[in-house]
Amino acid sequence: MPTIGLGPHGERPFSADLLILTDAEAELARAGRFSAAIVLHTTTSDWSRQELAGIIATLGQYGATVSEIVDCGFDKDKQNRELLRLAAAATDAVISLPIGSSGVLEAHRAVGRAGKKLVLLDNAPSGLRPGLDYLAVSSADNFGLGAIAAELISPYAPYEGVVGILNYEAEFFVTNEREIALRKWMGAERPDLTLVRERFGRVEDAGAAYRRLLAGNDDLDCCFIAWDMPALRVLAAIREGARSLPLVTVDLGNDVVGELRNEGPLKGVAAQRPYDQGAAAAKALLLGVIGRTPPAWLSATGLKVTRDNFREAYEAVWHAPAPP
Amino acid sequence: MDEETRRRRPGAAPRRRRVGRPKTLESGGPSLAAILSLVRAGPLTRLDIERKSELGRAAVANRLSVLERLGLVEESELGRPQGGRAPHHVRLRANAGVVLVAHVDRMSLAVGIADLAGNLIVEHHEAADLALGPEPTLDRLTTLFYWLLDERGGKEAAWSIAVALPEAALVDANDGDTFGIATLNVLRAWRAFDFAAELSLRFGAPAFARSNTQMATLGEMKAGAGLGVEDLVCVRIDRSVSAGVVSGRRLHPGAHGLAGLVGHAPTGEAGDVPCHCGAKGCLDAVASAEAVERAALLAAADGRSRYLADVMARYGDVTANDVGHGAQLGDAFCAELLSRSGRLIGESMAPIVNLLNPAVVALAGALAHSGEILLAAFREAIYRRSHPLATRDLRIVRSQLAGSAELVGAASHAADQVFASARGWVPLGSPRREPSFLAFLAEAKTRQRRSSAAEPLPPTKPL
Repeated sequence: MPTIGLGPHGERPFSADLLILTDAEAELARAGRFSAAIVLHTTTSDWSRQELAGIIATLGQYGATVSEIVDCGFDKDKQNRELLRLAAAATDAVISLPIGSSGVLEAHRAVGRAGKKLVLLDNAPSGLRPGLDYLAVSSADNFGLGAIAAELISPYAPYEGVVGILNYEAEFFVTNEREIALRKWMGAERPDLTLVRERFGRVEDAGAAYRRLLAGNDDLDCCFIAWDMPALRVLAAIREGARSLPLVTVDLGNDVVGELRNEGPLKGVAAQRPYDQGAAAAKALLLGVIGRTPPAWLSATGLKVTRDNFREAYEAVWHAPAPP
Repeated sequence: MDEETRRRRPGAAPRRRRVGRPKTLESGGPSLAAILSLVRAGPLTRLDIERKSELGRAAVANRLSVLERLGLVEESELGRPQGGRAPHHVRLRANAGVVLVAHVDRMSLAVGIADLAGNLIVEHHEAADLALGPEPTLDRLTTLFYWLLDERGGKEAAWSIAVALPEAALVDANDGDTFGIATLNVLRAWRAFDFAAELSLRFGAPAFARSNTQMATLGEMKAGAGLGVEDLVCVRIDRSVSAGVVSGRRLHPGAHGLAGLVGHAPTGEAGDVPCHCGAKGCLDAVASAEAVERAALLAAADGRSRYLADVMARYGDVTANDVGHGAQLGDAFCAELLSRSGRLIGESMAPIVNLLNPAVVALAGALAHSGEILLAAFREAIYRRSHPLATRDLRIVRSQLAGSAELVGAASHAADQVFASARGWVPLGSPRREPSFLAFLAEAKTRQRRSSAAEPLPPTKPL
């Protein structure tokens, strides 16, 4: 499936799989012995572990080191503090996943102004300028992931049924793109359906948000959840007695694979390829520190995963054999 | 809003005034608007407002209390103390309403929501096809606007809308045939369609349309390459080549809002493909993104570019964007193609640099962000063909806002337009209630009924 989403500033996508360093560029990168810090929203999810693995392996391949890895625990204030600290630290570059938009804009801008190269994961706060404040954004095709999720959940909604959307806060580019694409696909292919939405501000609150969605819509037929960590909270809520509905989410973490294998409420996953996205982010960073301009929007196409193909998909996503 | 404002209905006959002093809401429109305009430029203390507005202390206190009651201003951080307690600053309540913005282009559309200070909060871009006509595009924008407004107060929160459209879509249907660019087939259906009026009808808020290039230029002035300068030329290299001109911090729109169609400048290149205007060798026909794409397709087919041939084999298509990527990856054909485009555009823009003596020339549009090669060739041509005095301190840079420039400019334009008419609506609390706008809406609705077109309703189902 081709990438169909545009970048945060409307950039046409450059395939994450096609980004390379020429031999001369690789030599320059190795000679520079660069260092980079990584700032993530969380380091505890499988997605984060895979993204980190892709970044670290690729930087290592070109002689660069990771000076530190910061886990912000989804806390914008902590991300702001850490970025401002890193702006003054002895590191050549920072790879960061912005938690939201306007709330973390200035701290990200400070990194670029301090002369450090900045590569973003997933999301660019509105107001941050490509090529000036940051080098590139490396991401999944989140618009494509939303369309995949819509295709996966559609069979579980009867004619004139009701589909729930459980989404994160309103200013988060990545999850917004997924919801917009899901709505667009439904509008074109299933205009008979009604879509209802509930939001959660913290992953831990996803179970409660699911219960609110159920309480407000007793005719709900199925539900899309923006990514796997909140989906696991919803599955926990179902095990604790909340009504069980067919669920679809994004990201193929280990626990999600277990849920697919067990034939529970989780029916499908639109999978990112975080290892490849991390590798592309690292290459963009290396190009930046040697003075090249990488494409501003690096995008990796997603995979449609059901219990029929989760083993093959796992191997493509994790670059490792699927668990037995 | 006080009882007096709430009771007043648009179109109602003016009531005879009571005996006594006129109320601030009845007579204070100009001074309320003047104070609002002052605090919009930045937080001020009450003393600053007294000095700048030349109003007395009691009048300022009275006007500020009315503006606070209407929810238009608020007290912010403490100012510098001047012999006593530190005074509070008063500032515009930027979240009293929101501004909706959109950017429509040949292959994509974008929407955003901004606060009343014109700061973009959220934006979204997606692929689109303008060949489908204006109505489907308007429907899609409507869906996305409702989605953006869903958790921000709904339709009532929208105070203003600004949309950036391709130049040819702004040409009036009756005048279009006299102007070459309007003969673009894809945009023919747009020429009789009043996009701004349709948006006003759907959202009940004033709407404004300008060309993509002019909105991008406004965006660069607000937050990009034009920050802090008085004179800017913004050259947008997209399907066609066009330019926005700012002189003395004022955008020059032209008599029909179409200033800057430089794509029809002759280049001296022969070129096999005629321009939209029918002539050969126009800048649009030999150096625009469309021309680059055409050359790239040929090179992919006949094997002159291995990279483009690979892209064609993999995806079945080649775009101008791929030429930029190919150049970055070292493909000689792609690099030469971009260099030629930059040189030709630079040579055509040199007389404009001589004419206007700008402080900054910014290159915008997808092709401008394809890497250093096009910019370097453009820069070299400008320096070679312009008068040395005109280029002595000239900065030639890429657009700093990339694909967001049009949305940022639209947000700035919409906010400016709202506050330019503040005198008429401030006593009523929102530009949605401004009498002349309500009269315009009523007339547009009548016109719509007459043409027997059903009034569009907000979507009840996802589109």
